[in-house]
Amino acid sequence: MKRLWTTFLYTFLGLRGQILGWGLGLALYGLMVVPMYDALGAQQEQLQQMIASYPPEFLAFFGGDASSMLTPSGFLGMYAFSMMPVIISIFAVLVGSGLIVNDEERGRLDLIMAHPVGRSAFFFGRSLGILGAAVSIMLLGWLGFSVMLGGSSLGFDWGQMIVPFLSLLAQTLLYAMLALLLSMFLPSRSLAAMVTGVVVAASYFVSSLGFMDERLAALAKLMPYHYFQTVLSFQELNWAWLFTLLGISVLMMAAAWLSFLRRDIRLSGEGSWRLPFLLKHRKTT
Amino acid sequence: MDATHAGNLDQNLAIQIQGLTKSYGKVQALRGINLEVHQGEIFGFLGPNGAGKTTTIRCLLDMIRPDGGKARLLGLDPQAEPVVVQARTGYLPGEMQYYENLTAERQLRFFCAMRSDRVEWSYVRQLAERLDLDLKPQIKNLSKGNKQKIGIIQALMHHPELLLLDEPTSGLDPLMQQAVLGLLREANSAGATIFFSSHIMSEVENTAGRVAIIRAGKIVEIAETTSLTRRVLNRLTVRFKKPVDVTELGKLPGVELLTRSGQTSVTLQVTGDMEKLVQALGQLPILDLESERPSLEEVFLTYYKK
Repeated sequence: MKRLWTTFLYTFLGLRGQILGWGLGLALYGLMVVPMYDALGAQQEQLQQMIASYPPEFLAFFGGDASSMLTPSGFLGMYAFSMMPVIISIFAVLVGSGLIVNDEERGRLDLIMAHPVGRSAFFFGRSLGILGAAVSIMLLGWLGFSVMLGGSSLGFDWGQMIVPFLSLLAQTLLYAMLALLLSMFLPSRSLAAMVTGVVVAASYFVSSLGFMDERLAALAKLMPYHYFQTVLSFQELNWAWLFTLLGISVLMMAAAWLSFLRRDIRLSGEGSWRLPFLLKHRKTT
Repeated sequence: MDATHAGNLDQNLAIQIQGLTKSYGKVQALRGINLEVHQGEIFGFLGPNGAGKTTTIRCLLDMIRPDGGKARLLGLDPQAEPVVVQARTGYLPGEMQYYENLTAERQLRFFCAMRSDRVEWSYVRQLAERLDLDLKPQIKNLSKGNKQKIGIIQALMHHPELLLLDEPTSGLDPLMQQAVLGLLREANSAGATIFFSSHIMSEVENTAGRVAIIRAGKIVEIAETTSLTRRVLNRLTVRFKKPVDVTELGKLPGVELLTRSGQTSVTLQVTGDMEKLVQALGQLPILDLESERPSLEEVFLTYYKK
C-alpha cells in the first residue's frame, strides 16, 4: 500500500503544473462566461435577431436551437461547455499516453522498476495520480464557474454547477484511459496520443453533425461526446450514461494494467514499427 | 520462467541462471545462458556491445521476460517475487536517465521513497561525500560523471545483498573510479555479492574474482580471472644471435607472428600448448627469450577473433 501511495503522491505532485494550468484556465473561463449572460441579456432583442439569422444547422452543430440559446442552460451549454471535452481532452491525451510510456521512452522506467515497487502498485499509483489531477482540474473549473453565480441571473447554485463537471470528468477519464491503453500496445507515446486525438476529434464532429444529419445520428451514438451532458440538474442527469462512461474507463484501465503486467519494459527506442512503404523509401534514398 | 522445477536450483547461490533464452523478433539475444555466481563473490561480466549483457541483467530483474530457462536471485524467482528481489538488490543501469529538473537530492529522496524509506539519509550523504557529489544542483546541470555518481549512490544506499552493475565507473575520472571500486570492495567485505559488467579490463582484472565472457548471446568462457589470463595466451619476445627466417614459426598451430624487428627479433603470441613452438625454437640460435602474460583485454579479444 505504501508503494502505491508513494507512486500516487509523486505522480500527483508531478502533475501540479498541469492541474494549475488547466484548472485555472477553466476557472478563468468560467469567471468570464458567467457574467456574460447578464451582459448579453441586456441586448436580448438584438441577440435574438442575430441568432434567428443563423442557419439552423449551425445551431444544431453546437447542440442547440434558436429558442434554447438564450435560456440559462442553453447559454452555458453552447458558450461554456460545448467545446470543453475537446479542450480538456488535450490534457487527457497527453498525460494518459505518457503516464507510463513517457518514462519508458526516456529510459527512466528501468531504474524506477528496479526499485521494490511492483508493477501493479506502480500502475495503479500512476492511474490514481491522473484521476486525482483530473478531479482537481474539475474542482478548480467548478469553483471558477460558481464564484460569479451569486451576482448572475443564471439562476443556478454551486451544487447544480457540479453536474456538467461530473460529465466532463467522465469524458476526460475516458480519453485518458484510452490513451493509456493505446500506449501499452502502440510502439510510441506519440502514436498513442495521435490515435486518441483522432478519436476525440471524430467523436466531437460526428456527434455534432449527428444533430444535423440523421444518417450520422446512429454513428454518433457510438461516440463518447454524444454522452456528454451539459444539464445543470441532478434530476436531469442521465446517470446510466455517466456510469457507463466511467465503467468503460475502468475496463480500459484494467486492460492497460494487464498489458503492463505482461509486457517487457522497453529500453528507449525499442519496439518501433516500420511501415513497409517507409522501409522501401529508405532503401532507395 | 518455470517456478515449479526449483529442485535443482541452489538456494545458496546469489545468481543462478539455467538455459536462459530471449528473442526480440527474429533476433535471438540470449541463446541459452548458464551461469552461477556464489554469494559473496565479485563477478565480472564481459562482452562486446550487443552480446547480451544488459539483456541478461534485465531478465534477472524482471524488466523483460525471457522466452525460456530459469533464473534465481538470492534463491528467489524474480518473476514470482519481484518486489522482494528488488528490495534486496541494487541496480545500476548502463544508461542512467533521471528527472532532469530535479536536484540530485530530490531524485535520491524519490528513490528512497520508492524503497519505502528503508534508507538512512545520513548514509546517502556519506556516500555523496565519498564520491564528492554536490546534491544541490539540478541534474540537468550535472556532468555525465556526476550523474553516474547518483546512480551509484542509489544502488548502494540501502545496503543491498546483491549488486547488479552495468559499467559502474563509466564517465568517472580515475580518482573517482578508485573511490567507486573502493565502495564496492567495502560492500563486498560486508557480504554483498557484486555482479558487474565493464569494458575497463584493468578494473575487472583487479576487482573480479571470476569472469564470464558472453558473445552473441552465449557464455563462451567462465573462469577465475587469474587463471584466464594465465591459461590462454602467452606472448614471447625472442632475440636471435644471427638473422633467422621466422616465417615457419608463424605456421605452427596456435602461433601468431605479432612483430618482427629485422631478422633478429620477433614477438610471437601463442594460444594454447607451447610444446611445438618450444621444439621449433630449440633448433634456432636464440640469444634470449622473454615471456609476458597478456592482459585480460587481450584475452577478451581472442574470443572475438574466434
